[in-house]
Amino acid sequence: MKDSLNTVVRSLIFVALALALCAVVFQFAGYNAPVMLWAVLDGAFLRSGAIEQSLRWALPLFITAVGVSISFRAGFFNIGAQGQFYVGAICAAFAAEVFKGGPALLVIPALLISGMAGGALWALWPGLLRLRSGTDEVITTLMGNFLAGLLLVYVTSGPLKDPSGSGQQASSRPLDAAYRLSNSLGLSPTIIAIAVIVGIAIWLLVNRTAFGVLASLAGRNGTMVEWQGARLWKLGLSSFLISGALAGLAGTIEFMGPNGRIASGFLPAHGFTAILIALVANLSVVGTAVASIFFGGLASAALYLPIMAGLPAAAIDIINAAIALFITARSKLIDKVLRLGGPAQ
Amino acid sequence: MSNLPKSALECRDVTVKFGGVTALSGVSVASATSRIHAVVGQNGAGKTTFARVTAGLVSPTTGAVDVMGREIRTGHVGESRAAGVELVHQSFALPPSFTVAEAMEFGATGKGGIYSRKGLAAKWRAHLAGLDVQVDLNRRIRDLPIETQQGIEIARALVTDARVLILDEPTAVLSPTGIEMLFARVRRLKERGVTVILILHKIREVLGIADSVTVLRGGRKVEGPLDIAEVSAERLANLIVGDAVAKTLGPQDRSALVGTSTASGEEAARPDRVGGPAVLSMRSVSTRADGEGIALDGIDLEIRPGEIVGIAGVEGNGQKTLVRAISALADLSDGTIGLAGHDVTAQPLATRRAVGLRIIPFERNVEGLSLTSSLWQNWSARELLQGSLLKVIRPAAIREACDRSLKQWSVHYHSCGQRAGSLSGGNAQKVIFAREVDAEAKLIIAAQPTRGLDIGATAFVWQALRQARDRGAAILLISSDLDELFDISDRVVVMLSGRINGEFRAPFDIASVGAAMTGAAARAHA
Repeated sequence: MKDSLNTVVRSLIFVALALALCAVVFQFAGYNAPVMLWAVLDGAFLRSGAIEQSLRWALPLFITAVGVSISFRAGFFNIGAQGQFYVGAICAAFAAEVFKGGPALLVIPALLISGMAGGALWALWPGLLRLRSGTDEVITTLMGNFLAGLLLVYVTSGPLKDPSGSGQQASSRPLDAAYRLSNSLGLSPTIIAIAVIVGIAIWLLVNRTAFGVLASLAGRNGTMVEWQGARLWKLGLSSFLISGALAGLAGTIEFMGPNGRIASGFLPAHGFTAILIALVANLSVVGTAVASIFFGGLASAALYLPIMAGLPAAAIDIINAAIALFITARSKLIDKVLRLGGPAQ
Repeated sequence: MSNLPKSALECRDVTVKFGGVTALSGVSVASATSRIHAVVGQNGAGKTTFARVTAGLVSPTTGAVDVMGREIRTGHVGESRAAGVELVHQSFALPPSFTVAEAMEFGATGKGGIYSRKGLAAKWRAHLAGLDVQVDLNRRIRDLPIETQQGIEIARALVTDARVLILDEPTAVLSPTGIEMLFARVRRLKERGVTVILILHKIREVLGIADSVTVLRGGRKVEGPLDIAEVSAERLANLIVGDAVAKTLGPQDRSALVGTSTASGEEAARPDRVGGPAVLSMRSVSTRADGEGIALDGIDLEIRPGEIVGIAGVEGNGQKTLVRAISALADLSDGTIGLAGHDVTAQPLATRRAVGLRIIPFERNVEGLSLTSSLWQNWSARELLQGSLLKVIRPAAIREACDRSLKQWSVHYHSCGQRAGSLSGGNAQKVIFAREVDAEAKLIIAAQPTRGLDIGATAFVWQALRQARDRGAAILLISSDLDELFDISDRVVVMLSGRINGEFRAPFDIASVGAAMTGAAARAHA
């Protein structure tokens, strides 16, 4: 317990440091830093409707991030959440074409399952390549993101193209209102319920099953688990698949909820923000929930910054990047400075 | 040190602290010029730290180092080398992919530049020949036998005009014949005027080579320098382990720990204990080459319940592959493996573990434990793998069971949640024993189970293995420590180049076991 508390405190310190660094940068760039920071806070949580808006971004991020943490725990650096997110949405969109006209009670689960299957499929091939022939999953999953992005461009301007579209951005035909999980604001009891179910299921998987313990051991020292008689590929591949399925689920929720369609290049940073969240939370499920709300807040503030602080929305990308830098650097240097880690070797 | 004319090397009151740990405490060691001085002690006595201080690799907290009567700046490798001190490490530092000539050139000077293979070979041939290292200079380090590699290490250390050569545990990796060769080489160096400091932990070796000796224990100097003529093996043994510990050890164990035993064997013959069908039966087992070590070539091996079979051999002669083959971690090209009455040739490790295979692996910190995971996770891994992956667990219950088990094995720890990496080597090994040695264990493979452990933990490991044997388990013990093997094995099998090259029963004859290890007496005793 003390350990996980330590982790949260540590992560918060890094986030604060990153924000401070950004404030300095923005100040020097000629913006008003205090106003900016206030605008972020206000846009994320304080102004009316901000919480709902932040949750709208937080829930899909949470689902993807919790999936990312599963593969990271097992020692696989699956950075293909973005691609798995896209392929999940694409598969759900195709399924929506196939099942069009069916009763909502059947179609909605079918679409969700198709989306998860699609995401899992996009994690399957890097997983197999890694476990069968040792191909570095960082490279393959990263390439998978580009492939999925191009696939999205193809399906939205080809097979799924909405002929009535304006042409600004190719997109698919809109999903029947009967099958939507939410209106365009993007928050509904169904989506909240899905996120809660995913959270509980994954928490149980990680903390209350043999799989959770063994996958974590395998992630930290695969050799040791092999000498215990585990089949690493079984642990590894299931982690890959779960992680892909959850990213696919998040993509499906974006498609069936707020967006109601898929557009080429939509939410291009979703998967990477989710990776960041998993890392900030140090792969804990509860921590991921907290971090997701924070990053959901940032995402929601991004829409609000141009109005309030005269900042480009890209400022949020800079803040995200700064947090990523600090989280990555935390392992050695900053731990030493903060004396939060153990004694130096 | 009035009885010594002039010190080639003198460490005065050296104290070294790493964080809160004191590795050396006020240690003074002196050696006269052109002598062979041994520094002995158990693991953890501070021998290696002492060597590293004199070589300038470790900066002492307090204390000074004099070389040839002049004080040198401590903590600077360059200073120590300039003063003529060279250290040959316990684990060799030669780049495996280099040729001998390249290793000599770049290891010695550390300079870059353009060179030709021929030029380098010509440059170093005479130097190596002068030190009696017979080797083709264009061969790669990794292809050379361990004795030759060590010879090259020593030659490299002597490129500059070294006056003091420190060899850290040079005998640990050698066969008995290899040790003889090394000692001959060391004596020749002495004749050339080099002062040799040997870090050792076997009394037999100290008495065989040294002119004088210093004994360290627990980071302190116990005695020294003592003239070798003045000490007996018995006295040295007591100095090394300490009187208190000496009393708690059986005579067998004590002599094995310090290397004075003349291979008496474990209560010579107790055939009544050994009985029943073989627990392990390997029939002409060969493995495919896989880059992780030498392949097995037609191994026949049987172990019966209640029997400890020791595997002797120079390291790298297939011991690791043997363990991997039994553990289903190496591909068999031929032969069958039977385990507790089941043919497990085609079975994965999980199945073999289910019928009673337990493994205490070579690399405690890599194959045995996940250092960054908690103790309870490490401890429970074996049992968790017995059921379905989705089996529901209660961490609280596992922690309780883990607590009970670790207490039973007298592990010193704070809580089951602490990381395995925070334990000392001996305690970490006990955690592995707690996991691997249970009532259902039929065959226990113990690979180098006491390596790096202090005397208490070593005695504990031996006792645990004997208890498991007395319960009827079969034990396969792999060790490069012949004294250990002779002390607790019922039978010793020697491996050479992936084959079995001789089998011996107590009382063991070190000379013939040693000969089998180097291939001199192939199948003489089979």
